[in-house]
Amino acid sequence: MTLMVEAKGVCKAYGGIEVLKGVDLNVARGEVTCLIGPSGSGKSTLLRCVNHLDKHDAGELRVDGELVGYELRGDKLYELNDRQICEKRSQIGMVFQRFNLFAHLTVLENVTLGQIKVKGRSPEAATAKARELLARVGLDAKERSYPSQLSGGQQQRVAIARALAMEPKLMLFDEPTSALDPELVGEVLDVMKDLARSGMTMMVVTHEMNFAREVADTVYFLDAGVIEESGDPRTVLSAPRSERLKLFLSKVL
Amino acid sequence: MNTNGDATVKVVPVRHVGRYFSGAGALVIIAMVIHTIFSKLPTGQYACRGVVPHRSCQPKTEWRFSWDVIRHYFFSAEIFHGVEITLALTVLSMLLGIIIGLTLAVMRMSPNRLLSATAWTYTWFFRGTPVYVQLLLWFNISAIYPQLSLGIPFTSWTFLHVNAVNLFNPFRAALMGLALNEGAYMSEIARAGLISVDEGQIEAASSIGLTRRQTLRLVVVPQAMRVIIPPTGNEIISMLKTSSLAAAVGVVETLGAATNIYSQNYLVIPLLLTASLWYLVWTTVLSSGQFYVERHFARGSLRTPPPTPIQRLRNDARGIARKFRPVHDVGVAP
Repeated sequence: MTLMVEAKGVCKAYGGIEVLKGVDLNVARGEVTCLIGPSGSGKSTLLRCVNHLDKHDAGELRVDGELVGYELRGDKLYELNDRQICEKRSQIGMVFQRFNLFAHLTVLENVTLGQIKVKGRSPEAATAKARELLARVGLDAKERSYPSQLSGGQQQRVAIARALAMEPKLMLFDEPTSALDPELVGEVLDVMKDLARSGMTMMVVTHEMNFAREVADTVYFLDAGVIEESGDPRTVLSAPRSERLKLFLSKVL
Repeated sequence: MNTNGDATVKVVPVRHVGRYFSGAGALVIIAMVIHTIFSKLPTGQYACRGVVPHRSCQPKTEWRFSWDVIRHYFFSAEIFHGVEITLALTVLSMLLGIIIGLTLAVMRMSPNRLLSATAWTYTWFFRGTPVYVQLLLWFNISAIYPQLSLGIPFTSWTFLHVNAVNLFNPFRAALMGLALNEGAYMSEIARAGLISVDEGQIEAASSIGLTRRQTLRLVVVPQAMRVIIPPTGNEIISMLKTSSLAAAVGVVETLGAATNIYSQNYLVIPLLLTASLWYLVWTTVLSSGQFYVERHFARGSLRTPPPTPIQRLRNDARGIARKFRPVHDVGVAP
């Protein structure tokens, strides 16, 4: 099985504070990986490093076999320019905690923008693709609405459709349900489960332990910038070995 | 209201006694203003009719505000041409000012310290000196730069020579001064707009692979417009009037045309009023335009856009009609 994401000793510091202290992680193609841990443990930072929204300081980070943010030519690492980074980002979908839908565009325009401007699709083809994806997340009736007219759950589903429209090989979810009212969490998780079943490679930062248990192939528990424990969700979540994970689970479950 | 469909209870709204008094006061003031605007003054001459024992004389009067003179000059060729120059100055200096302002705002926010410091210094200078002084400076710039050349800096290679006196004719000097000054103000307005766009929007744009330039153009600027438009509207309206300073360097715009005429016939007040009326006409046009532009750029940020003045009038009319409808109509379900 080939690896989609490969991290070796990834470090990241913000203004002198070490957020990631040498993280090793592997995500196989078609696998769903959940990152859990207390807030400030570095899970979101790790996710953001994967698509280079944050730049890691040290270590090796590869997506689909290629280095993130750099290119190895001969024995030198060349930093990629804006265009090259964007090219790589367009192959990785990302869903944010606060949805971040483009507020000035309708639902349909949100889903077609990247297709037209980055992938160079014709507006007709982009619209057709967008309608198909909106139907898949159950929002085909809302294509003319603006994000502010939608509920949180609906916005997040549009955000997933927007990311999928780029036909990514990897999807990153940064606490996708944390900003939602409890009764809206289910509709977003359902879309994500459906996506997981379709064979999408996913990295999910989440506090939804049931989702992790049910959908994840591997769970990583991060604490204070290091991976404390990882493995099959049923073992990791049911029979935690480390004290920290036991403490964490006792708080969230 | 109708509770069970049979018993009709009349609702008595609260009486706002204070409002009647303040309303009456306002009405008196409005009446006074209208009265004085359309009042007449004795000219000191008399108009007499008839022959001597039956001769009757009435004092001659004229409009206090010289409406007949104003009407005569309002559409005169000279004033009209001045108005055209005012509009040309306003539009061109605002266009240049907006371009300069946006450039400066992006420079200010650049991670390159040298760029942001340059932009800061520009704003510092052009906001720190009066426009009037700047206009005079550009008009007289040929005193220190008689020749302007285009070439490679610090070498003797030049391709293009212009005589500064010819380049900075009154109109161009005024345009230059107004635009450069406006650029400094617009940069602050544009910067406020760009800052107001949520960081998450930029991250989302990056995450779907838009380049920095595309993100700015397709995501940040359109959303910043909502914040940029209202103060820019104010700037345009303010520029319309500030452009009258161009008269100081000999541009015959609206005010210049008016002063040219009254310096010959001494009809000072009527011509100043003529100029004022023209300024009022264009501010009215611009402010109503501003309303619709703001409404357009607010899309997506408001669940229901504010009603247009016409919609508001229609709603008011409906409300008044409802008030005067007989009570038993209210609450009768169809």
